[in-house]
Amino acid sequence: MQTAVVQAGGVANPIPARAGVGLRAPHYREVIETRPPVGWLEVHSENYFGDGGAPLYYLEQARRLYPLSLHGVGLSLGSADELNRGHLAKLKALIGRFEPALVSDHLSWSSIDGRYLNDLLPLPYTEEALAHIVRRINEAQEVLGRELLIENPSSYLQYAHSTIPEWEFLAETAARAGCGILLDVNNVYVSGRNHGFDPQRYLSAIPVDAVREIHLAGHTVNRYPEGEILIDTHSTRVCAEVWGLYRGVVQRFGHVPTLIEWDTDLPALAVLVEEARTADAIREEAHALVA
Amino acid sequence: MPSLPELERRLAHAVFGGDAAGVATQIARGRFPAERHLQVYRNNVFASLTEALRALYPVVERLVGDEFFRSSAHAYIRRHPPPSGNLHDFGAAFSEFLAEFPAAQPLVYLPDVARLEWFWHEAFHAAEAEPRALARLSAVPPARHGALRFRLHPSARLLASDYPILRIWQVNQPEYRGDSVVDLAEGGVRLLVMRRGLTVAIEPLGAGEHALLSAMAAGKNFAESAEAALAVEPELDLPRSLRRRVRDATLVDFVF
Repeated sequence: MQTAVVQAGGVANPIPARAGVGLRAPHYREVIETRPPVGWLEVHSENYFGDGGAPLYYLEQARRLYPLSLHGVGLSLGSADELNRGHLAKLKALIGRFEPALVSDHLSWSSIDGRYLNDLLPLPYTEEALAHIVRRINEAQEVLGRELLIENPSSYLQYAHSTIPEWEFLAETAARAGCGILLDVNNVYVSGRNHGFDPQRYLSAIPVDAVREIHLAGHTVNRYPEGEILIDTHSTRVCAEVWGLYRGVVQRFGHVPTLIEWDTDLPALAVLVEEARTADAIREEAHALVA
Repeated sequence: MPSLPELERRLAHAVFGGDAAGVATQIARGRFPAERHLQVYRNNVFASLTEALRALYPVVERLVGDEFFRSSAHAYIRRHPPPSGNLHDFGAAFSEFLAEFPAAQPLVYLPDVARLEWFWHEAFHAAEAEPRALARLSAVPPARHGALRFRLHPSARLLASDYPILRIWQVNQPEYRGDSVVDLAEGGVRLLVMRRGLTVAIEPLGAGEHALLSAMAAGKNFAESAEAALAVEPELDLPRSLRRRVRDATLVDFVF
């Protein structure tokens, strides 16, 4: 098995290329007691922003058994508000305590005038927004003293005044901010279907050496008289088309840590482990072909 | 073309306020009308935040039913959207909101049940504390106890209600089997909500002990707290109460 991966910036426990799974509260005890065969765990950073109690207790234990990644959904990097210093301080403390190998958030905004939407809204892809998010990522990386990975969001609208395709906007953000990319293959697929672009076109524009992590997840389909909108619900298995894209992704991007995300209608842990095994099989097969 | 802050402001307004006029022309024309795109975000925001409130207030939800809960949650989300990207901060004002919410007026006990559930949430996530009071207290002569200012465990929350909210809470737990009728004439209750180990315990208190711990939580010294306790319960065995609350680590430490 390949284990030599990823920048870890002196982190004791780097993330292997083997697929990991998202750790959610209903699975805490089973993961700790049965130690399922997955390579690493990822949690939502904000779920551990409490001061004490069960979540932090279980994360301490899980952290001893698996390499860890902290995935944020609340930094609101694209917001025109001031960066939330309190949020950043909590994240920094969490990083100090748990020493994650990877820390990530999104290419999106979720707050304005101090009101938070608890959702990831797309930016207009303009020079103004690009300069803004690059400045904010720089600021966050400076406070945290480490590299952030930025994930491409799934989106359900496009702005009329956007001038830059999302894939160029993401690549340019990474180049200018010196951050890594968390490439969510399902999000590329979902947005591609919603906005009518070719996922391959997107993937081939992403710089190979910037991608440090891959997300895979399931989505659902809403049907309307005018057609379908795909919703990134993280509530189902990875679909066949996304597995198909993943095959090409591992050929292009190499041995990058892959995560199975599942947040709503959480299934038995065994289902997540099975999805992770599928990802491992695809990656190993792809690399056997290359070798 | 609106600036980035202006665009975000208009979109947030369209999502929370429902008025899409300010942003509809900024949304690229595709197969769908602008309203359809906005509706997806509106659904995401309201469904996820309603789910967050449901996780915080399961007993309130059982008491009012799914439809009532959803409509009150939606009104709450509009009035008190999350103040940060950390959902632990969201939902704090639900009790006060329900107290004012017209449709909830007949359920007089509902705001206190919500307050209890919020305290449960706060206790669940509160900081740890090493109990030191027991070991330190033996070194203090009883004559000096009156001057001590005790510190409660960071998870301890005190609550008094005119309604039997502990019983209401208990019969609405998913694992509860038995008579679920609660007679409001049972009267009020005073409670200590606190995390013990990893789980939150809710304990009924007598009037004296509630007054004692409340005074301590407000920073009063033991003599002042004892006075407040005896005023409402003259027969309270104070030394016994103190010993018990030091032993069970409700009181974790003190200063002179």
